[in-house]
Amino acid sequence: MTEVKVKKETNVTDSTEVENRIKELCHQFPHGITDQVIQNDLPHLEPQQRAMAINKLLSLGQLDLLRNSSGLLYRMKDVQSAGKMKGSDNQEKLVYQVIEDAGNKGIWSRDIRFKSNLPLTEVNKILKNLESKKLIKAVKSVAASKKKVYMLYNLQPDRSVTGGAWYSDQDFESEFVEVLNQQCFKFLQSKAEAARDSKQSPMVQRNSSFATSHEVWKYICELGISKVDLSMDDIETILNTLIYDGKVEMTVVAAKEGTVGSVDGQMKLFRGVNPVLQPTGLVKTPCGLCPVFDDCQEGGEISPSNCIYMTEWLDF
Amino acid sequence: MTLQEVRLCGLLLREHFGEVVEKVGKHLLRSGALNLRTIINETGLPLDLVKKCLCVLVQHGACVFSSGRKGPGSPTEYLTSCNRILRILRYPRYIYTAKTLYGDTGELIIEELLQRGHMTMSSTVKTVADRLTQNMEEGRSMEYSEVSSAFSNLVETHFLQRCPPQPGAGGKDKTTAAPTDNPATPAAPAKTTLQTAESFPDCYKVPHMTLSGRGKRQLSTEEGEDQRNAKKPRLDTATHGDEGIYWQVNYERFHLHFRDQAIISAVANKLDQTSSEIVRTMLRMSEVTTSPTAHCTKPLSSNEIFRSLPSSYNIARPILDQYLTLLVDDPMEFVGKAGESGGGMYVVNLHRALANLARATLESVVQERFGSRSARIFRLLLRKRHLEQKQVEDFAMIPAKEAKDMLYTLLSENLVQLQEIPKTPDYAPSRTFYLYTVNQLPTARMLLQNCHKTVANLIERRLFETKESKRLLEKSQRIEAILASLQASGAEPEQLQEVEEMITAPEKQQLDSLKLHINKLDSAENQVDETIFLLESYITGTASST
Repeated sequence: MTEVKVKKETNVTDSTEVENRIKELCHQFPHGITDQVIQNDLPHLEPQQRAMAINKLLSLGQLDLLRNSSGLLYRMKDVQSAGKMKGSDNQEKLVYQVIEDAGNKGIWSRDIRFKSNLPLTEVNKILKNLESKKLIKAVKSVAASKKKVYMLYNLQPDRSVTGGAWYSDQDFESEFVEVLNQQCFKFLQSKAEAARDSKQSPMVQRNSSFATSHEVWKYICELGISKVDLSMDDIETILNTLIYDGKVEMTVVAAKEGTVGSVDGQMKLFRGVNPVLQPTGLVKTPCGLCPVFDDCQEGGEISPSNCIYMTEWLDF
Repeated sequence: MTLQEVRLCGLLLREHFGEVVEKVGKHLLRSGALNLRTIINETGLPLDLVKKCLCVLVQHGACVFSSGRKGPGSPTEYLTSCNRILRILRYPRYIYTAKTLYGDTGELIIEELLQRGHMTMSSTVKTVADRLTQNMEEGRSMEYSEVSSAFSNLVETHFLQRCPPQPGAGGKDKTTAAPTDNPATPAAPAKTTLQTAESFPDCYKVPHMTLSGRGKRQLSTEEGEDQRNAKKPRLDTATHGDEGIYWQVNYERFHLHFRDQAIISAVANKLDQTSSEIVRTMLRMSEVTTSPTAHCTKPLSSNEIFRSLPSSYNIARPILDQYLTLLVDDPMEFVGKAGESGGGMYVVNLHRALANLARATLESVVQERFGSRSARIFRLLLRKRHLEQKQVEDFAMIPAKEAKDMLYTLLSENLVQLQEIPKTPDYAPSRTFYLYTVNQLPTARMLLQNCHKTVANLIERRLFETKESKRLLEKSQRIEAILASLQASGAEPEQLQEVEEMITAPEKQQLDSLKLHINKLDSAENQVDETIFLLESYITGTASST
């Protein structure tokens, strides 16, 4: 604090000292400082000098210029990244900035062009340059297989781009999903059977046949059939598909925060169930499964009298 | 009155009553209410044939007549409806139910009434007694009173009802209704009718009948005598005190019974035996208090349920409460809780149970026809109502290409519908949301029509097979007749053997396989009829409440 007072009295106009002061202020406020803050700190400094100092710092690449709702912000740039960019010109720095801002979702080349206002050829050259310097990488998106998004080299691509645990190299792993499906179902079924055989009162029977999603997740992890780490959400999507198969039902109960596996004060419980109806009468006849059912007419090419499906079925 | 329904009704009429009745019936079904002269002109049949056909149809309740539209002076019009004729398909199920509930006597009573349409009580009792006596050993015969008591049991539980009096038939019916002060007769107290169609208040009142005796055995040597006796009983009927009171089978009551059975077996499949017993008790208690079109049964307190449980299931009171709570919590919502008095008031949700059963039927059809992955997509759409294609792929965890293929197949079969939601007023395809959805009620109707077509196909195939082997069947019939006559006249074994050998081995094989085929087709018809029943009950239940 005293240092500041001293500086005030000596009325320094040395530009390097101004720059250093600004840098110190940036360090003090890592989120960024506005012009107002600099003005408060160095009230005697003329706006012109201030602007010169800030511009110098910006061109040296030591300061980041950002805009927020109240005006412009200046932020200290990471020294490491400042070092990286040495030897690159401003355009490259701009493109790099744009890609960095896209985070781990990546950005498409056309969007880079829009944001930087550079012509296509320039952008492509710069992208090739940056890739060779190993600063950025291209990741193929799973949604549109021809599209390539660019992101920083060391970032992990987001789930929406790679598809998450179910995709390996842009291919949906259906066998993997099937296997997990079967395993979860077997686990829940055996639990339900154990509960039924225990012959206790029905309420206890039903409660013990339930399994929380956390239990299923632990079971699957312990089985070790998955090379990829699966989260509880992944397991819940698998269990949802079992519900859509009609083999499992789910209830949600309120759980205390902090009990293992609870999310937002609730827990999902899953239980294997029996089907409520045997296959219905219509499908026990060949007509119920006939692919040419609509073309069948008495007296036509396809008719009940000469139906080959019926003949096979009758001789069965 | 779809095309398939009319075709099926035509086939059923042909099988049971012949081709002429089929022609008249089909014409009436297609054209609505017609008067006699129009029918004669349009079908081209002679007057007396048409009259006989109409009599047959009216006798079986398939046709009703009323005075013409233009006023009381215009000729009467005749109207048939599909529903009644489609019941013919269900006759075996009715007879079987009567057999399980009331034994052989009940079975034969129902069979007779189904065959004849309308009959008086005395004639039914006599015929049934004779038939039962026929099957008993020598020297034993069936008491009329036993049959009468079975008959009154059926009336008490509303399986049989009186035919409504025809307009203009006179007040004779009401005056012959006997007083109920005779303690010897098994007269049931007058029950308030549950049928709105039957506005006749004595619908279920058993008349006083002076009929006593035993069943007569019909022997072949007494043929001549029987010819004379055949006329006599018809004259005797007049003296039994119940002429003019005709009885018919109450189909709605049977349907309620089938519906209860379906719900009970669904509960047994989903939960366990004890729960299904509890639901059975609840349904039994509400048999007479619930109207057929009710949404759910009247509330029953758990005290009442506890008291009415069959004694073989001695479960403790708290356990019963637990079972009831479990039934209420089940996602299928068979049982609901309606209040807390009396230890908890519980109702059986009839419509919802039927909707769930219909939904399970739809799902099983999709599963059997298209595979379990398509069934997964179908169930997903049923649950989540409207989904985009991408969402379907994500939720069902099916690769995009296959999911697309399956969705399009289901769409082409009209099991799944597409809903467009435009972003711009010009419905441009790139700027519209396309959502897949399943509507349960229209899909159920479509499947019902498919069921009708299936049954019609099965019947036609059966007729075809019979026609193909007609020559063979005739031959075997002739041989049987020859054998019977030879046996009766006391022939030697060699002669019998000779006759038997007239049927060659491959022919016998053919006959056996023919019998097998026909049995299979018959049982398939019954199975499809079960599906028809479920879908019909669901559709009538939902369509009336919406």
